[in-house]
Amino acid sequence: MALVHSGKHGKAKVCHVRRPPFLRRSRGLPRSERVRFPRFFAKKRGHRRTVSEVWGSVAEGLFHAGLVLAGLVFGALLATGVAVPEWRINHHFVEAEATVVGKGLARRAAAREQTWEPALLLRYETAAGQIEAWALRDGPLAERRRALALLDAVALDDRMPCWYDPDAPHTAVLARGYNWWMWALTLLLPGALLAFGGAGFTRSIATWRKSEERRAAAFRSIAGESHPAIPPCDDLVNSPGTFLRFRLPTSGAEGWTLLGFGLFALLWNTVLTVLAVTAGLDLMGGRIDWLLLGILVPFVAVGVAGIGLFVRQLVLTSAVGPTQLEISDHPLRPGATYDILLAQGGSGIFGDLTVTLELEEQATFRQGTDTRTERLVVWRAAIASWQDIQFVPGTRFEAKARLTLPTTAMHSFSSEHNTVAWRVVVHGRPARWPAFSRGFPVVVYPADPSQALTNTREKPP
Amino acid sequence: MTNGLDATSRSPVVSTSFSAADRLYEPYETILVRYEVTLPPGVAVGSVERSILWYTEGKGEEDIGVHHFERITERSAVIAATEGGSIEVRLPASPLSYEGIIVKIRWCVRVRLFFESGRDFVSEHVFELGHLPVATMPSV
Repeated sequence: MALVHSGKHGKAKVCHVRRPPFLRRSRGLPRSERVRFPRFFAKKRGHRRTVSEVWGSVAEGLFHAGLVLAGLVFGALLATGVAVPEWRINHHFVEAEATVVGKGLARRAAAREQTWEPALLLRYETAAGQIEAWALRDGPLAERRRALALLDAVALDDRMPCWYDPDAPHTAVLARGYNWWMWALTLLLPGALLAFGGAGFTRSIATWRKSEERRAAAFRSIAGESHPAIPPCDDLVNSPGTFLRFRLPTSGAEGWTLLGFGLFALLWNTVLTVLAVTAGLDLMGGRIDWLLLGILVPFVAVGVAGIGLFVRQLVLTSAVGPTQLEISDHPLRPGATYDILLAQGGSGIFGDLTVTLELEEQATFRQGTDTRTERLVVWRAAIASWQDIQFVPGTRFEAKARLTLPTTAMHSFSSEHNTVAWRVVVHGRPARWPAFSRGFPVVVYPADPSQALTNTREKPP
Repeated sequence: MTNGLDATSRSPVVSTSFSAADRLYEPYETILVRYEVTLPPGVAVGSVERSILWYTEGKGEEDIGVHHFERITERSAVIAATEGGSIEVRLPASPLSYEGIIVKIRWCVRVRLFFESGRDFVSEHVFELGHLPVATMPSV
């Protein structure tokens, strides 16, 4: 249903006809006018996908409607099973003075274990007369011995308050109150389903059969912005430099890697500790859980490896020394020249230290159920390079250089799935440590518009 | 002048002419696009949308940014807009048209016709904002 081609010089065009899904193939019409049944699956054909937007919207709407329905069903089940009974106990049950006339243990057997709960036979007065009924007390316990001890604390003919259901007087309880955890869980799951499903369903209805231009215009219009689709550089100009105007922040890749290794090691070894303590308690109690011990062996190996990776990354990050980069102005403009100051900490000897300016394209796309981001450096230029640097203890290497952007440089660009990003990269090769690269993002604006407009040629009449 | 579709088809034909014959515009320059629509017989248009926007092409999912959008639904205005019309807008400073390796940015004018039968037809005409060279892979 679509013809798509594109080119560099503005001669391209895309035209397509979209038909609603309820139309069927009509006999007697020319082939170009027949209606194809919309595809349920996506396939990439050149620059376009063959997926049907109509079916996509319908499926999305149905999915979110299903979530809303599931939220309502879960909510109703949990309300009637947990919330309403507890609320009735606290608001409708009638208080009475009860006499203990019998005692016992209620046993509940599950698949592999059983619980015990003290139970009292109560005699109390109701509007319908005197009634005897069993009521549970203190909650289920895993050990029968403890349940018996609690039961022994109550003597026959003891008197205590109870609350009974006026609609079913044989139903009585010995305590009132709310289980807030149960209420939170009761509200959490249906609430999340209703919120997520409701928002998605509303969005599906709001965007139903609207063109992508209309949806995009409703979401955000770029008219009025001074530099649309160029990322803000507020975070890059809030740190003054020592010698030059701004000190640029690093892209933080090293820090995030270190944090990732650290979090993994921490979480994994926390789980490992819990499992190890459980296995240790079993061993002290004279029981050997071979399955748990079997699981522990690979868990210990992964835990030790996680700690090792974290320590290695920590040593690599801290041993090389910090890198600082200052720049004379920001944001950058094509054709302009800027002073930069490189300051590198460290010890020993660096084989070389190089500063480059790079332009990287980033494209985020779906591949099956995964979302992937591909990065590609499409332009790179060396700014400065130093060889055989000998660090003096207590000082850092400092050097100035000049950075010039090409006059035809692409400006920085950022949209939801696509990015064109500039950065200054410092590459170092220490003698005793692995080579490293540290990036310092910069934002490039388009060339000065006043210059651009002076180049505008005369328009044809 | 370009046509939206082959005139021999039974689809509408949208012809456009740009104020710059080479379709190259500078940031902040005013673009003027005139268009004419030729409808197949017996087709009634319910509404018209005219927009100037950029979109991305390449490896990533498509993103779009609308610079100018107008939707015409009033009966007499739809009839006038269906016969032809013009869009005159001052272009923004960015994003510039860009021919990268895995990211490309294109600017275009779109005229979208919504037929009373429920179908819609869109005609897209690309132009360039700025004059950036085509990106090439750096030599190693």
